[in-house]
Amino acid sequence: MLGIKQADAGMSDPGTYFQWGDFLIQFGNLVVIATMVVLFILALVLPFPGRRSRK
Amino acid sequence: MTKAPVSVSWRARNDIASRPWPGTTREYDLFKELAVGLVVVALLVLGLSAVFSSPDDPSVTLKSWAVAQPADFVATATAELGGTSGTAGYGPPYNSTADATQKLGPIDLQTLSGVRLPIDTANDFVIGPLQTLPTPPAAIDEWTKASDAQHASWTAAYGDALSKAPDNDSAKVPPGDYGPVPILTGALLAMAQQGTLDPVLSARGSFYNTDYKASILFLGDGSYFPGLADAQHLTGDQWGMMNETGNYPGQSWLWLFSALYQVEPFKSSTNADVLVVFSMVILTLLLTLVPFIPGLRSLPRRIPVHRLIWRDYYKHR
Repeated sequence: MLGIKQADAGMSDPGTYFQWGDFLIQFGNLVVIATMVVLFILALVLPFPGRRSRK
Repeated sequence: MTKAPVSVSWRARNDIASRPWPGTTREYDLFKELAVGLVVVALLVLGLSAVFSSPDDPSVTLKSWAVAQPADFVATATAELGGTSGTAGYGPPYNSTADATQKLGPIDLQTLSGVRLPIDTANDFVIGPLQTLPTPPAAIDEWTKASDAQHASWTAAYGDALSKAPDNDSAKVPPGDYGPVPILTGALLAMAQQGTLDPVLSARGSFYNTDYKASILFLGDGSYFPGLADAQHLTGDQWGMMNETGNYPGQSWLWLFSALYQVEPFKSSTNADVLVVFSMVILTLLLTLVPFIPGLRSLPRRIPVHRLIWRDYYKHR
């Protein structure tokens, strides 16, 4: 169950949070984690550059 | 190319380091990679900095606290006077409060460190700053001449009255036997609202303000500062990640520290900090000693992710 939680602080924008049950994560952190996972998968599947110059 | 399997043992008798490389080779321009990497990272840093900037929330000060929530400030100052605040009961390195330390079985590292940064909350946070005023309140004399028991009685009575007053407002507290406490806390509130308490607590006799320990401890004893942190999710309540204010991502390298606090037995333990640090030391040792731990060091053979990354090499091998 996805719920978006907007915190209320007397400071600046409290940010956007995603919550699945007990699991709570900030939007920025989710983007960083997703980017790291995508980069890891790309590193696995993409061929190394310069393959044709191999001797 | 198929080669007879060789031992990859580090033992000298194999002399593996001096053997010629029998596999395939390829040209590799380290300087080119360094230059490309440097340029790409520099462009990324400059570009992302220009787009996203960085969080720039105004500092929370004793002045902003005293102006925003004077009732909380007065209640906290009363607790500092009475020695019932979080700082007063923290134990080492600030004081020697009994049974306040975190322990790892029989090991009490917090006590072993000793009281290296002694803090007497009444004198350091309230009386001392008030004595720096051009005309210190006369109530200071009444306070300093009274016994500890009298101090406790006055502050307990005033703290109780504050909690029952409408809006916890010190101006609405009914008369009672509070001694000089209302005058002292009221004078400290005025001092904070004028902005003179911040430099007094931070400077502590020095010209430059580099030690914010007293200010931060005082702020942390109230409910205003922790409330702001809670609203910004800065109290470590997220699974595996710290975070910055707003939508800025946090320190991802702290994920494991933070994640341990979310699970039992750490979550409900009164010794959570020392247990988490001890666990991280064990995990770090395991990581450091991977080459010497049977089973763990064989994981790459059992889960050959490297063969997927270097599939071209293994295909030609």
